[in-house]
Amino acid sequence: MPSDDQLNEIIIEVENVPSRVVPEKTLVNSSFSMVSSISDIDVTDSQSFGNSNAKKSTQLLRFSSSLNESFSQTLRRSPGSVGIDTSHENIQGQKLIASLIPMTSRDRIKAIRNQPRTMEEKRNLKKMVDKEKSKQSRHILELNCCAQCLNSFSRAYRRSKNSLSELLNYISLWQKTFKVIGGKFGTSVLSYFNFLRWLLKFNIFSFIVTFSFIVIPELTVLEKNTLQFTGLEFFTGAGYFRDTVMYYGFYTNSTIRHGSSGPPYNMQLAYIFTTAACLIICFFSLLFSMARYFRNNFINPHIYSRGITKLIFCWDFTVTHERAVRLKQKNLSTEIRENLSEIRQENVKVTLNQRLIHVSAHLAAWVVSTGVAVACCVAVYYLAENNSEFLKNHQNPGAVLLLPFVVSCINLAVPRLYSLFRLVEQHATPRREVYILLIRNVFLKISIIGILCYYWLNIVAQAGEECWETLIGQEIYRLLLMDFVFSLADSFLGEFLRRLIGTQFPTSLGLQEFDIARNVLELIYAQTLVWIGTFFCPLLPFIQMITLFIMFYVKNISLMMNFQPPSKAWRASQMMTFFIFLLFFPSFTGVLCTLAITIWRLQPSADCGPFRGLPFFTHSVHSWIDALSQRPSYLWVVWICRNLIGSVHFFFILTLLVLIITYLYWQITEGRKVMIRLLHEQIINEGKDKMFLIEKLTKLQDMEKRANTSSFTVERRDVEQTSPLHVREHGAAHDLRFRRSVQEEHPKV
Amino acid sequence: MGGSGSRLSKELLAEYQVRGTRVPGELARGPALRSGVPGREAERPRPPGGPLNPSRFALQDLTFLTKQEIILAHRRFCELLPQEHRSMEESLQIRVSLEQILSLPELKANPFKERICKVFSTSPARDSLSFEDFLDLLSVFSDTATPDIKSHYAFRIFDFDDDGTLNREDLSQLVNCLTGQGEDTRLSASEMKQLIDNILEESDIDRDGTINLSEFQHVISRSPDFASSFKIVL
Repeated sequence: MPSDDQLNEIIIEVENVPSRVVPEKTLVNSSFSMVSSISDIDVTDSQSFGNSNAKKSTQLLRFSSSLNESFSQTLRRSPGSVGIDTSHENIQGQKLIASLIPMTSRDRIKAIRNQPRTMEEKRNLKKMVDKEKSKQSRHILELNCCAQCLNSFSRAYRRSKNSLSELLNYISLWQKTFKVIGGKFGTSVLSYFNFLRWLLKFNIFSFIVTFSFIVIPELTVLEKNTLQFTGLEFFTGAGYFRDTVMYYGFYTNSTIRHGSSGPPYNMQLAYIFTTAACLIICFFSLLFSMARYFRNNFINPHIYSRGITKLIFCWDFTVTHERAVRLKQKNLSTEIRENLSEIRQENVKVTLNQRLIHVSAHLAAWVVSTGVAVACCVAVYYLAENNSEFLKNHQNPGAVLLLPFVVSCINLAVPRLYSLFRLVEQHATPRREVYILLIRNVFLKISIIGILCYYWLNIVAQAGEECWETLIGQEIYRLLLMDFVFSLADSFLGEFLRRLIGTQFPTSLGLQEFDIARNVLELIYAQTLVWIGTFFCPLLPFIQMITLFIMFYVKNISLMMNFQPPSKAWRASQMMTFFIFLLFFPSFTGVLCTLAITIWRLQPSADCGPFRGLPFFTHSVHSWIDALSQRPSYLWVVWICRNLIGSVHFFFILTLLVLIITYLYWQITEGRKVMIRLLHEQIINEGKDKMFLIEKLTKLQDMEKRANTSSFTVERRDVEQTSPLHVREHGAAHDLRFRRSVQEEHPKV
Repeated sequence: MGGSGSRLSKELLAEYQVRGTRVPGELARGPALRSGVPGREAERPRPPGGPLNPSRFALQDLTFLTKQEIILAHRRFCELLPQEHRSMEESLQIRVSLEQILSLPELKANPFKERICKVFSTSPARDSLSFEDFLDLLSVFSDTATPDIKSHYAFRIFDFDDDGTLNREDLSQLVNCLTGQGEDTRLSASEMKQLIDNILEESDIDRDGTINLSEFQHVISRSPDFASSFKIVL
């Protein structure tokens, strides 16, 4: 009977399994590694984690994580005895070693390091691989000269990169402070400080570049400053500072030349190219950071976005403060309960009436928030327009501070007004609430900056005033400074008062929580102003550097004194992705548009700055290209400038290509989504198969047991056979899964 | 970098650190490929005596830590030892009991501290850590460890009964660890059941009632915060 054969086969297989069983003390690792062998069905795209360098090794290692205990024991025992037994696990072990041998030494080191084994096992594994490799290496042909050259070059490059990164790590700023903040408040608040440090790096870089290429040459041809110095200049930026290297207007338009045979330094070209270089490097750096964040934090909203599993499995191990851990546990328990009740209520139907009320509340909130933002913009524009007349009437030099003061007040008050909307609106998830609040705030801030830019470029620049670029630079400086002063006041006074109110008075307000979103938006706002202003005020990155430095310490002290750890889980990585996207998309692209309009459309002022007298800023570059075309050895530069950068067809073709590639990648992504869904269903079906087979197996075991206990002669033997089967029924089920997975593995491999 | 105050030899550092490429052995690999590697081990400088096997120094790059981190780890580890055992050879062989490791400020408040020590311990009774186990621990919890290996070890830490899967018992013990010991923070039985049902619904793909390593890694891959929160830095 075929079923009898099947029965024998199954029983034989099951019988074989316990013979591989493990002594008591290593039961732990054995069952773990046996079961983990199930996990080597690599269904998801291995690109989703693991570095792309070791993609192949990642796939191999998923397979290799199924090494069984006996191989681990072999590794632990001694490196010499690789083992000649042909049992299944050692075949897999041999496969692991065989896969490691052809890799380059770098990849091999990475692969071994990535193995989840103890140090001793890794060391022995490496020894075994080296031994096998040395046996084979006599047959390897000599590497030719080229490959060796390349090898040594790449090794030298890696070494220099390593020492550079070690040096950077050594001088890395604020490591200890970060550890303390993370220990008390967790990774969410730490992400704000990380963002601050990252922006600081941008500013340091911009400062170094502009200082070296623009300010230092200018300092060598310094003209005398005849204005009076009063203390008010620090706030207004006008007065004495107008004729310093701080502003555009001070810079010379000549070609600096020291001595009769010194190298010429064309200030016009230096100015425009330095600004362009800064912006281009910032652009690429932002782009790559954004791409890296998008890749790692692949925001995939369509499956399982409830997030309870993330709460449970992503405990923050960086929190080390005793009280903070207890608080975190309490908050987690509250949040779990809230999530559970939300899930319970999801099933509750919402009546049409309630839906209408919700929708109308949303609509009203959006209308009010947009209206407020528009009203603020109009007020700012009106104020800016009338500011010049106002200034002529009032001779007080401090009167120029009125506009920045109003703008900062708006930035202070309106976001808090937006947070009050939460009392009226009800959102589906708290995450949506955070996003909508962020979008409203971003809209407000960007529209204020936009209105100011419009005013500056259309009114101030074309009003015929003398040195309009310096005026714009001064305005931006004042805005930035007022923003800084307001932030300091907020930290010192506002948060301090809030803590007093929270703790002294018997209301149950308690300590406040650090509003990460609002603070990050303030940083983005300041950075946008700095980027716009660098063209008109080259020392602005330096000022922003100092500002950020001070802000770090102020925020840190205020955090320690006035705040409590956050109560809700904050998805730091997703939020960081969103913030960097905000930094790139409305902020940096807006800056690029503004500067592009300035350089291509506006006329420089006639008697100050490096571009005085030219009809457009770009004329300096055009005249340089014309000068270059006289020299035959630089004709290729001229050709590139005229036909690639200066021509429309080139950009048209480029855009078309980019669009086509984007469309193709989008289709590939769609295809992969379908594939993931199909594989998912396949896994579910296999699970059902497993369950079915296990049930069948237990039924057959029962039948066998009943059949055997009826005969006397084999009774004892069968008891011996069946009792380990009985005791390890669970283990047998695991082994059955192991066997199935291995059978599937073979056709794949 | 012996001048930094630690007594770890250069060879040992090169063995453990992630960026050790200055050991002469690797430079010799060029010619070694041409003529086989019989003399490779002899080219290495012999360590200054002691009971340690010189062949241990022939390996490199076993952890994700940098040189400074390894030196710092060695210093902190030595501080846990009694004064008379702090020599270099002894510090590499001796094992430190669990209570002493748990007294480290980075681990003291962690709800999973016992599980962490148990998972990384290689002693038969799983109650003590050697220096290499300690380095293993720091390597997995370091900044540069891959999410793959972090999720692997997280799975082992959360697997309270060490059977290779997260069943309902494991999950409920996990949740109890997370919510703490207080009476008001522990979840009631019905809440726990609902929570575990939800977790299994979200993560158990093959519907067998337990979460195995693949499913766990799949869930973790969708939480990008995991890698940055699964970190312990000395």
